[in-house]
Amino acid sequence: MIEIRDFSFRYREGREPAVRDVSLSIPDGCFVGVTGPAGSGKSTLTYAVNGIIPHCYPGDFYGAVTVDGLDTVEASLTDVSRLVGSVCQDIDSQMVNAVVEDEILYGLENFAVPRDEIPARVDEALSSMGIADLRDRTIDSLSGGQKQKVAVASVIALKPRVLVLDEPTAELDPASSVAVFELLARYAREHGTTVIVVEQKIALLSDYADLLVIVDDGAIRYAGAPDEVLAHSEELLALGVNCPRSTTLMNALARRGLYDGPAVRNVAQAAAACKEVLA
Amino acid sequence: MIEFKNVSAGYDDGAPVLRDVSFSIADGEFVAFVGTNGAGKSTTMRLANGLLKPRAGEVLVDGASTRDLKVSELARKVGFLFQNPDRQICCNTVREELLFGFKALGEEGPAADAAVDAMIARFGFDPDAEPFLLNRGTRQLLALASIIVLAPPVIILDEPTTGLDFRECVKVMDTVRELNEGGTTVIMVCHDMEVVADFARRVIAMTDGRVVADGPTFEVLRDPAALKAAHILPPQVTEVALILGREVPGVPPAVAEADTVSQMVEALAAARGEEAVGSEADAPSDDVAAVLAAEEAAAPARPAACAEGSR
Amino acid sequence: MAKFLEYVPGDSLLHRMSPAAKLVGAVLFAVACFVNSNLVFLLVMLVIALALAASCGLGRQTAGLCKAVLGFSVILAVVLVLTTPAGTPLVPLPWGYIGTGSLLAALTVIVRLMAAAIPLFLVFYVTRMSDITNAAVKQLHVPYKYAFTFTSTVHFIPVFMNDMAGIMEAQTARGVAFDGSLPKKIRLMVPLCVPLLVSSVRKTNSTAIAAEVRGFNLRTRESGYKDYPLAARDVAALGLCVALLGAAIALTALGA
Repeated sequence: MIEIRDFSFRYREGREPAVRDVSLSIPDGCFVGVTGPAGSGKSTLTYAVNGIIPHCYPGDFYGAVTVDGLDTVEASLTDVSRLVGSVCQDIDSQMVNAVVEDEILYGLENFAVPRDEIPARVDEALSSMGIADLRDRTIDSLSGGQKQKVAVASVIALKPRVLVLDEPTAELDPASSVAVFELLARYAREHGTTVIVVEQKIALLSDYADLLVIVDDGAIRYAGAPDEVLAHSEELLALGVNCPRSTTLMNALARRGLYDGPAVRNVAQAAAACKEVLA
Repeated sequence: MIEFKNVSAGYDDGAPVLRDVSFSIADGEFVAFVGTNGAGKSTTMRLANGLLKPRAGEVLVDGASTRDLKVSELARKVGFLFQNPDRQICCNTVREELLFGFKALGEEGPAADAAVDAMIARFGFDPDAEPFLLNRGTRQLLALASIIVLAPPVIILDEPTTGLDFRECVKVMDTVRELNEGGTTVIMVCHDMEVVADFARRVIAMTDGRVVADGPTFEVLRDPAALKAAHILPPQVTEVALILGREVPGVPPAVAEADTVSQMVEALAAARGEEAVGSEADAPSDDVAAVLAAEEAAAPARPAACAEGSR
Repeated sequence: MAKFLEYVPGDSLLHRMSPAAKLVGAVLFAVACFVNSNLVFLLVMLVIALALAASCGLGRQTAGLCKAVLGFSVILAVVLVLTTPAGTPLVPLPWGYIGTGSLLAALTVIVRLMAAAIPLFLVFYVTRMSDITNAAVKQLHVPYKYAFTFTSTVHFIPVFMNDMAGIMEAQTARGVAFDGSLPKKIRLMVPLCVPLLVSSVRKTNSTAIAAEVRGFNLRTRESGYKDYPLAARDVAALGLCVALLGAAIALTALGA
């Protein structure tokens, strides 16, 4: 359970707060998609959950953020990291080792996971991300999609309660982006892990998220199930947030009086709804 | 005019990245290259403006082989916007950045100053701003502006919308469309099929260093064999149309062949026996440029050159 | 891409040895080359070094390395030839002469540098960087922070080189012609250090954060999962290196 209460944050070098008076509860096992225009404060929001603020970027922190009751400001970054695993935006800088296996071992070694548990943890992390065959490869030799899977595997090996990912598919092609989301969602379902993803690719978020959060100008504008949020496509557009084209299609059909169901979040739903229209 | 004749290419001693690639792009076209990472798209772009020379075959720019053209001649003919603007931006002010290309080519002078002023006005840049303090979208626009200020007849864009939010993406692509309407040939690598569908008129799909499909945008994006070979998904409306065409017996062709939101809405309305009213004002905003226009009218645009206040 | 000092996979004897034994052995070998000035002894050492390189199939890399070391040591050798008047005079110089002794001294420097350098470089070719640092921390008690700094530096060199190549490419596309004389090239490259610096600072910052959120601060000498026990062959190899060092010292002490 993640509880964000009246949270505001101003970076030390910033004049205005990046996030203002935000409150949000995230139940366990929820797949949360966060999006919004550049500079809206969406990354800042996730940094409060994984402790990067105020521990790495100092500033004025108001309100409280707790993960399973642990206050992310009062706890040390290391203690927050035991609960919350983070994957940074820049994949290349995320890697601190040269070989895939060592990268997976890194966190396990540091957090002193018992020796006899380690081999199983490494195997499981690699196979959860579908990269068991990459174990002995050097990280330099991997494609962007493979690197991203290694980055995620190195964090899930630690079995965090919460996973925070900052634009994990920014550098990936569509096929790898879908693959990363698919693997993440499956892992989270199987382990009851809460996932928070910041992402620009709205179509992916709409498809996979249980909770869609739209951030603009330092505040949460919408938070809810994707079909609830996507029903506001006009307002979202005014904020500079696009909807998936299938949502736009069904909303347009609704305006023409041809469809009166809930907003759709992916192609499959749109195709099913169009079949109804044709029937 | 850019022609690839049986081009093979690779880096250093490595395995070939492109194998026997041939195509030609006429003046004024708007072509999108699609396919997975590692398919050879970026290598093709490097060859097209001579940053990389072919191992075999020939790349011709306006009839001259890139092997025989000097860096400066190529820079004059083919502008190149890289995926990461931070690799391109290197000056201390926005104005210097825009002038940089002219300096590199030894073409400083009143004409260059006038072109730079026009760019500053067009994008609403602050000429004295420090480029590295601008936000990501504005840096991308600045990088684009510093290429198009030289008015090259061809521009190459390597994933121009990656890392941008929707508003920034619309701004960049809108500028590109305007250039194309003014006669500039546009060649882009793009992963966002909605952007490809909205802007490009021709699609070249690549896999494993080879061209697997080449044709008008929707012909390629509707071709199941091409989609499969290039590991791409079609734009969402096209995908809905393809599903309906496959799964609904007796589906009207207009539905199965719809590619845009408005086409699909009209086709479904017609199928239901409703009159195709299609009043323009009611037509859904399908296309990002139209969205931008509506949005600009509705809300005052943010100044393009604003220092990044937050991370 | 230049793959200088990058691990080359294999399963030769050297590949299979314990990283700490390799590192210590190479250092002992190098010290042995420096405490002794006997040309014959150094030639023997050079032959051993080359044999080691051949034993793990790294002839090509070693040849490249020898060329680099040769270039460097020739400069030293020329200085020595001109400044060490010794042996039978051959060529008179305004400030002395070049003698057989001078040539011998120069040759000694070249052979010594090559013999000492090859095993040290071989260690990097036959051992994964992570194994070297893990073993250095675990067995040689090198503080982890130093080891991490070292690995990060090694990790970032190709990243930065890649960045620089990308930046130069972007500027070439804008019409900057980097080919030409060296001073011109340097003049053109200097302004490009700004974007390189900006990206380096961003990258190192996010690496630091990425390490910290995976428990960097908890890491101790015992953290490493992999063990690098010394096998009989490691002890034997170390013994051999100690013997070589002993021989070198003995020869020097005997005034040979």
